[in-house]
Amino acid sequence: MNDLFVHKWTAQVKKGILSFIVLSVLKDNEYYGYELIEEIKKHTEIEIAEGTLYPLLNRLKNEELLTSKWVEQESGIPRKYHVLTKKGNDTLQEMKKYWVNMNTSIQKLMIK
Amino acid sequence: MKNIEFESNTAQRIYNDYLKRVEKKARVLSQDDKTEILMDINSHIYEGIQRETNVNETDSLLNLIEKLGDPDDFMQPIIAERKINEATRTFNPKTVYQALSFNFKNGIIYSIFSVLYLFLLAFGFLIITKLIIPSKTGLFYYENKFHSFGFVSNNEGMNEILGFWFIPVVLLAAAVFYLIITLLLRLVKKK
Repeated sequence: MNDLFVHKWTAQVKKGILSFIVLSVLKDNEYYGYELIEEIKKHTEIEIAEGTLYPLLNRLKNEELLTSKWVEQESGIPRKYHVLTKKGNDTLQEMKKYWVNMNTSIQKLMIK
Repeated sequence: MKNIEFESNTAQRIYNDYLKRVEKKARVLSQDDKTEILMDINSHIYEGIQRETNVNETDSLLNLIEKLGDPDDFMQPIIAERKINEATRTFNPKTVYQALSFNFKNGIIYSIFSVLYLFLLAFGFLIITKLIIPSKTGLFYYENKFHSFGFVSNNEGMNEILGFWFIPVVLLAAAVFYLIITLLLRLVKKK
């Protein structure tokens, strides 16, 4: 087995689906950065690099798929909550459709 | 922004140093963007420290910083994207230059735009040649028909019709060209 190849492929897959995962986790929920990472780890067992999440959140916000709001805390250090927009929700639905189709095709290939 | 206060001096110094690096990297951004990034990182560190109560705060802070990574690396895509937004919103030449330099490695399209912006130098060149060699620079007509606009090496039998009005015309053309390519950059960014 070519471990290096598999490792690279896994990294590419993770990178490719990260936006899908973030949007899915944010569906019907509002999370701040650190909490979002915890939720992703909890639901997917994917170890997400914090340094990757913030640029991604910035990009999703730029694409108007999500919006964010600062909420003051007693500690004096506010949290930035991320929320899915209508466009984000619609985009997520499209991504889900694609994912289901892709998954079905791959399943067919695997049992061939 | 309220800074986090640590009990350990070592942790405080590590934290201060890390925030300084983030701030240094973010200094090319507008004040609002810079503050937002600093608040993001500050909040992330604070929430992380609150979670990891079983580790001493210095170790906890080091873990968090290690996972965030070098500000030079993780902030690069954020700055590149925000700079492009700022450039296409403000049309400020300095911001456009910074936006292109931060995005230069993000695809061939930004290299093409860099070349287009370099074309603006040609307009400057025309203004300088008009001042140095006015007879060979301008809008030339030959036998009452348009012949050329710019610099000609041989102007025998030609009429230059703009005179020193050539300079404001070139400045106007440069401004229109700049406006068009910056609007194109905005379109490309949206795709």
